[in-house]
Amino acid sequence: MQVTDQDLQYFVTTLKNVSKYDFSEYSDKSLKRRLQKILEDSNFDLTTLITTLRVDKNFVERIVKEITVNTTELFRDPPVWHLLRSRILPRFKNNKTINIWHAGCSTGQEVYSMMILLNEMEMLDKAKLFATDLNVDVLDAAKQGIYKYRFNLSYLDNFDKVIKQNPLNFEEYIDVPYEKYFDIDKVKDTITMKKFLTEKPIFRKHDLVTDGNIFFAKFDLILCRNVIIYFNYSLQNKVFELFHSNLYPKGLLLLGMHETILGPWANKFERLGQSYVKK
Amino acid sequence: MYKAVIIGGSAGSFQVITRILHSLSPNFPLPILLCLHRLKHVRSGFVEALSIKSGIPIIEPFDKDQIKPGRAYLAPANYHMYIELGNKIALSTEDPVNHSRPSIDLSFVTAAQVYREKLIGIILSGANRDGAYGLKKIKDLGGLAIVQDPEECQVKTMTEASLKMTKVDFVYNTNDIIKFLQNIKS
Repeated sequence: MQVTDQDLQYFVTTLKNVSKYDFSEYSDKSLKRRLQKILEDSNFDLTTLITTLRVDKNFVERIVKEITVNTTELFRDPPVWHLLRSRILPRFKNNKTINIWHAGCSTGQEVYSMMILLNEMEMLDKAKLFATDLNVDVLDAAKQGIYKYRFNLSYLDNFDKVIKQNPLNFEEYIDVPYEKYFDIDKVKDTITMKKFLTEKPIFRKHDLVTDGNIFFAKFDLILCRNVIIYFNYSLQNKVFELFHSNLYPKGLLLLGMHETILGPWANKFERLGQSYVKK
Repeated sequence: MYKAVIIGGSAGSFQVITRILHSLSPNFPLPILLCLHRLKHVRSGFVEALSIKSGIPIIEPFDKDQIKPGRAYLAPANYHMYIELGNKIALSTEDPVNHSRPSIDLSFVTAAQVYREKLIGIILSGANRDGAYGLKKIKDLGGLAIVQDPEECQVKTMTEASLKMTKVDFVYNTNDIIKFLQNIKS
């Protein structure tokens, strides 16, 4: 069965009526595909799905988790991490504290990547990391900091590119052992982040659509990568407003490799590489 | 008349794509949507390599970019590329489909739903079956389906899977594909 626009509308409206979740400003194409997948995986027809949503709160939570997309990897897109290392983070070198918000942190790989980089730059002690996601299951995984070794194997190359290369001279190789930050158990197929990393960030459930800023803090840096691609133009603008008003002056916003600020908020930021600096 | 051309390929398609893009004039009347598999770690340099000989500009689009004629839009590495109503690109990092991200099926199906009978779909050389279902969708919704002649393909899996699933309009070698595209008038 192919999900129609009407089906999607019906689903979104129901969800909005029975819970606090509002997907009405999500990007249609992706949402339709997620709904399609939920129907195929669960073997429900739309009517059964809707009926169940109305009576079963746990089912609502489960469906919301299945709607969200949770792709992430250690040091995803190394050029972005080179930018962080060479041009973004050095701006905060003389700060007493650095507040960083990972909005849409998924299973946490980006948060751990950031802590590893900060530690290599001797800035971890003064950093405060806040990490949020809509999906509490991925947050639990993020808190644990345990990942599949084989699945993440290729991303260790990213670690090498970002951490072991001298940012000023790519020919030079700095030997940073993995064990400094995580333990690899090939038999159990796990990568386990060290305790000094897992206990540092504050992980919280958060909905970018409705929740605003839930921390009593403003931020020097907000990372929100490959999240707004699932939002429509109007919701994107609301999120940019939220980020802009909660960044310190000269604070930076970092979006995904192929995300950009369109519309009215574009001229409230200046570009630095692919990041956005609050004017 | 037609509103867009969408091309899918993987292993063995790079040279074919290069030749096709080289043959197009800057005033080619349609947008070209490209969904090509590439190695996970080859994330940069691909556009540059394709651009050297291309007759039209090649863009790795941003999310929600407007699609314009006379340009080629290449699905960025590690993202799915959807086509949305209103002639816009939408990107996604959902799980790979057919072990592929970008997935040709996803690009083709979403383009078919937007352009319907005004879409030309072309499947080139490739090493898996991604794209076969997408080409069928294009045909089902009234669009035109073209497959590169498997005899000419470096790897035949993708074209043969497509031919098996769909009664296509044309099986063309690269020269015929080029001639066909050059004859498209606005």
